[in-house]
Amino acid sequence: MRSIATKIAPEHILAVIVMVFLAIMPGIGLPRAWTLYILLFLIYLAMSNMWNLVAGYSGMISLCQPAFLGLAGYTLALGTWVQVPWWAGLIGGAAVAGIFALLISLAVFRLSGVYFAIGTLVVPEALRIGFYLWRPVGGSLVGGGAGYTIKNISSLGIQEIYWLALIIAIISVIAIRIILRSNLGLGLTAVRDNQRSAASSGVNTFRIKLYPFVISAIITGLAGAVFFLYLQYIEPVSTFNVKWTMIILLATVIGGLRTEGGPIIGSIVVVFLHFLLAKYGDYSLLIQGVILIVIMLLSPQGLVGIAKKSRYFQVILDFLRRPFFSSKPLSGENTKVEQIAR
Amino acid sequence: MGGDLVTPLVMGILLGGLYALIALGLSMVFGVMRLINLAHGDLVILGSYLSYSLLKYLGMDPILSLVITIPILFGLGFLIQQYLMRRAFAISSEAPLIIAFGIALIIQNSVQIQFSPLQVGISTAYSMASFNIGSMQFPVSYLLDFLVALIVMLAFREFLKRTYLGRAITAASQDKKAAQLMGINTGLIYGLAFAIAMISAAIAGTFLGMTFPFTPTSGTQFLIIAFGVVIIGGLGSLLGTFIGGLILGLVQTFSGYFLGSAAQMLFVFLTVLVVLAIRPQGLFGK
Repeated sequence: MRSIATKIAPEHILAVIVMVFLAIMPGIGLPRAWTLYILLFLIYLAMSNMWNLVAGYSGMISLCQPAFLGLAGYTLALGTWVQVPWWAGLIGGAAVAGIFALLISLAVFRLSGVYFAIGTLVVPEALRIGFYLWRPVGGSLVGGGAGYTIKNISSLGIQEIYWLALIIAIISVIAIRIILRSNLGLGLTAVRDNQRSAASSGVNTFRIKLYPFVISAIITGLAGAVFFLYLQYIEPVSTFNVKWTMIILLATVIGGLRTEGGPIIGSIVVVFLHFLLAKYGDYSLLIQGVILIVIMLLSPQGLVGIAKKSRYFQVILDFLRRPFFSSKPLSGENTKVEQIAR
Repeated sequence: MGGDLVTPLVMGILLGGLYALIALGLSMVFGVMRLINLAHGDLVILGSYLSYSLLKYLGMDPILSLVITIPILFGLGFLIQQYLMRRAFAISSEAPLIIAFGIALIIQNSVQIQFSPLQVGISTAYSMASFNIGSMQFPVSYLLDFLVALIVMLAFREFLKRTYLGRAITAASQDKKAAQLMGINTGLIYGLAFAIAMISAAIAGTFLGMTFPFTPTSGTQFLIIAFGVVIIGGLGSLLGTFIGGLILGLVQTFSGYFLGSAAQMLFVFLTVLVVLAIRPQGLFGK
C-alpha cells in the first residue's frame, strides 16, 4: 500500500476528478447539445490519441484510419441485421479492424515515409468503392451506396452511448501512458529516429511497428463503432472519407504531435471550432486547414508546445507531477524516452 | 483479338497519356525535392476548375485558357515551395506531409465554396466529338489527352536537357551540395522546380476536365493515380512515367469493360496496392 501511496501525485487526483465529472455530466441535466459535443470530443480524443501513437511516436503517417473505423462500423451494422447484439458487434468490429490492420501491414510496412502515407491513403479509397458495390444482407433497396441502418439498438439512449465513448477515450489515454512508459515505447522511438540502427541493435522493427498499428486500429475501430451507434446509420461515402483523417490529424497537430496532452487539447479545439464555425459551412474546414498550416509552421508541437515554453506552465506541471509523499518527482513520472534524452 | 476488345485497348492507351501527364508534376517534385506532394491531385483539379470558370463566365476556349491558368498555378507553386515547404523541411520529416495535407484541405474547400460540391465538366464542341477507327467510335478528348501528354513530356525532356535552368534543376536533384558549390541557388531552383511542375498540373487539369466530370474532392483519386503511375514507372524516368500511365489506363478500361464501370477504379487502386506490396521500388526501378 505504501508504495502505491507514494506514487499518487496531484495529476492522478485531477484525472479522477475530470473522469468522474465527465461520467456524471449527462445525469445532471446537461443540455442535450452539450452531451453531443462532449460525445464527439471523446470519440475524436480516442482516435487522435491512436493517430498520435502511430504517427507521432512511431513515425508512420497513417492515412488509413477511416478504414478501421469504417470496417468496425460496418461489422456492427451488418451484425445487427443478422441478430447479433450491438455489444458483440462492437467487439467484433474492433477485432475486424485489428485483423485488417494485420493484413495490410504485410503490404504497407514495406514502405516508409511518404510511400507509407500514400500506400495507406489508397486503402480507404478502395474500401469505399468495395462497400459501394457490396450488398451482403438485405434486399436491393439497402446496402451499397444507400447504406445500412443499425437495427435493434432502441434500448441505447444517448447517455449509454456517451458512457461507452467515455470508457473508450479513457482506455486510449491509459494505453498511451502505459505504452510510452514501457520498453515498447522506447523501441518505437528508436525505430522512428533511425530504423537501421535500431534493427542492428536487435530491435525487431517489423513487430515493434505492428503493435501500435494494430492497437490503433482496434481502438479507432471501437471509437468509430460507438460513433455509428450514435448515428444509427452507415454508408460508404462519408465513412471511408478523407475528412475523418483530416479531423484526426487536425486534432493531433493543433494540440501537439508527439505530446501526451496534445490530442486532449486538440480534440477540445476541434470540437469547439466545429460548432463555432458550423454556420459557415464549407468555410469551417477551410479555416481549419489554415490553422493546421500556421500551427505546423509556428509551433510544430502545437498548443502544448507553446505552453511548454511558458514558465508558469512548467511550475504547474511540476506541482501536478510531484507525488504527495515524496519531495522530489519520481523517476517513473517521466517516460523512459525522456530519461534517455537527459 | 475480338473486335470488342479493341475499344478498351485503344481507350486505355489514350487514357494512359492523361495519367502520365497528371503524374509528371508529382514525379518532378518528388525527384527534385524528395517530397510527395499530397496536394498534387487537388492542384490539378484546381486547374480544371480555373479552366471551367473561364469557359463558363468568359466563354474562353479551355485550351486558350491555359494562357491564364498556367501562370496562376506557376505562381501558386512557387509560393507554396518558397513560403511553406521550404520552412517545413527544416522542421521535421512529417511537417511537409502535414502541410501538403493542409493545402489540399484549403484547395478542396475553397473550390467547394466557389463552385458547389456538384459534378461539373468542361464541354466544348471538339471535346464532345468523336472519331472513328474502322467501325468503332472514340472520343476526341481522349486522343487530345494522349497527344498533349506526348508533347508536354517531350518538351519537359528537352527543357531539362538543354536549358541552363533545366540542367540546374537536374543538378540540384542529383546532389544538392555539389550543385551549391557550382554556384546554383538551390533554394530558388526548388521554388522554380515546384512552379514548373505546376505548369504540367495546369495542363493536366484542363485536359482532365475535358475528359472526365470532376468534383472538388476528385483530387484524392487523381493523386492516387498519379502516385501509382510514379510507383509503377519508377522515379526520374519520363519513359517509365509514360509506361506507368499506360498500364494504369489499361487496367482501368479493361476492368471497366469486364466488370462494369463502377468497379474500374477499385482495380486501379488494387493495382497500386499490389505494386506497392510487391515492388515498392517500381516495376522498372532497381
